[in-house]
Amino acid sequence: MIRRLLATVFLLGLATSAWAQEQAFTNRSTELKDKAAPEAATLKTLPENTELKVLQRSGGWTRVDAGGQQGWVRVFHLRFPATTETSSGGGLSSLSSALGFGRQKSQTTTIATTGIRGLSPEDLKNANPDTAALAKAQSYRSDKPTAERYAREGKLATTKVDAP
Amino acid sequence: MKRLVIAVALSCAAAPALAIDFGKIIDVGRQVVTQPAATGSKEFSQEDEIGLGDALTASFLGASPLHPDANLQRYVNRVGRWIALHSDRPDLPWTFSVIDTETINAFAMPGGSIIVSSGLLKRLGNEAELAGVLAHEIAHVVKKHQLKAIQSGMQADFWKGIGTSVAADQVKIGGGTVGRTVGNAAKPYLLDAAGNLIKDGFFLRPLDRGLESEADHLGVVLAARSGYDPYGLAGALQMLAQYKGGGDAASVFSTHPSPTDRLADLEKFMPAVESAVRQPQLLEARFKQNVK
Repeated sequence: MIRRLLATVFLLGLATSAWAQEQAFTNRSTELKDKAAPEAATLKTLPENTELKVLQRSGGWTRVDAGGQQGWVRVFHLRFPATTETSSGGGLSSLSSALGFGRQKSQTTTIATTGIRGLSPEDLKNANPDTAALAKAQSYRSDKPTAERYAREGKLATTKVDAP
Repeated sequence: MKRLVIAVALSCAAAPALAIDFGKIIDVGRQVVTQPAATGSKEFSQEDEIGLGDALTASFLGASPLHPDANLQRYVNRVGRWIALHSDRPDLPWTFSVIDTETINAFAMPGGSIIVSSGLLKRLGNEAELAGVLAHEIAHVVKKHQLKAIQSGMQADFWKGIGTSVAADQVKIGGGTVGRTVGNAAKPYLLDAAGNLIKDGFFLRPLDRGLESEADHLGVVLAARSGYDPYGLAGALQMLAQYKGGGDAASVFSTHPSPTDRLADLEKFMPAVESAVRQPQLLEARFKQNVK
């Protein structure tokens, strides 16, 4: 019985976090842009606390759906319910969202939240050193020329940026 | 503080068993610790910093296996080494290990060994985000954040710890193993130190918030110097902000300040870097080819 109850609570938690993945709010008044660039055309101005659906991240910009209109907003101009609500604050809103669109994504979220094959504190504290695995890890090291060649392939150019 | 108390407690527990000439301990200790006369502070040599990192990495890999995808391991090493080349410690034996676990986190060992979980990797969207994460960890190594925390926690007991190792060494030498050569990671006092840190849960506890902020800022600079979109770390933090609630006790949510706080801190810092960047790369396609 208790196990079933736990499973139910657990599933609810899964669906809630799936829902939280997609939902965001503006944390200030901000512009919805048609491209991920400051000079791009402004589609409209979103007031603070506008509810959005997150679609994609790209550098300092996030593509969102704002009431049916899609565009880009600055990454710093968003807040996420997962970090502004405590887990105990679920209640009815979590239940209703659990039954909504968030559900479809719960398959992928299962991996994130079940802790299956997760690294537990006990695993780490009780670990026996694996020197063979260490040697294997070190065999994958990249030397300087390889790293430089790979960077060139990706058009990564060294840029002068002052230390903070 | 708790760390120090535990370290002291461990040393006290070990002390009664020691009956070693203190002069010898100091003598052997010179190989391990440089002790500037003016300050009396104790620091690891670079050789021992690397050896300690190796021993800690071996323990991590004992707790969580390496991801079996050799291509993925090489990919993360190439990206990481390229970023490290833009740091003040380009020639450390930088090693980037992907562990096969759903726990979302990354860890920096002293000496240039970085561990990142496959659970974190697969939630990133492009190479710039990976660069942001790796650069944050590289910054910890460059600034010796973990090493300094370890050293300060060892002030009271480290000499005794070395003493224990010396005793073990002497027994072996007395048993006819004189002249054997041991690698850094195999030095008994480093293995002991690493073992105690692991058992004590050193890597499960957060570092000082100011150090995390410093690593975020330097990390953004290193990624930008390496040609990446400097917002990669911000993107990774946004992902973490959205995933909060799914974290376990060994995850980034337990060992770091909240992603939302880190984003707010980064927002103030970014303008200084953004003006210097010319043709920043995201490399989404290359990332998705390698991280499946």
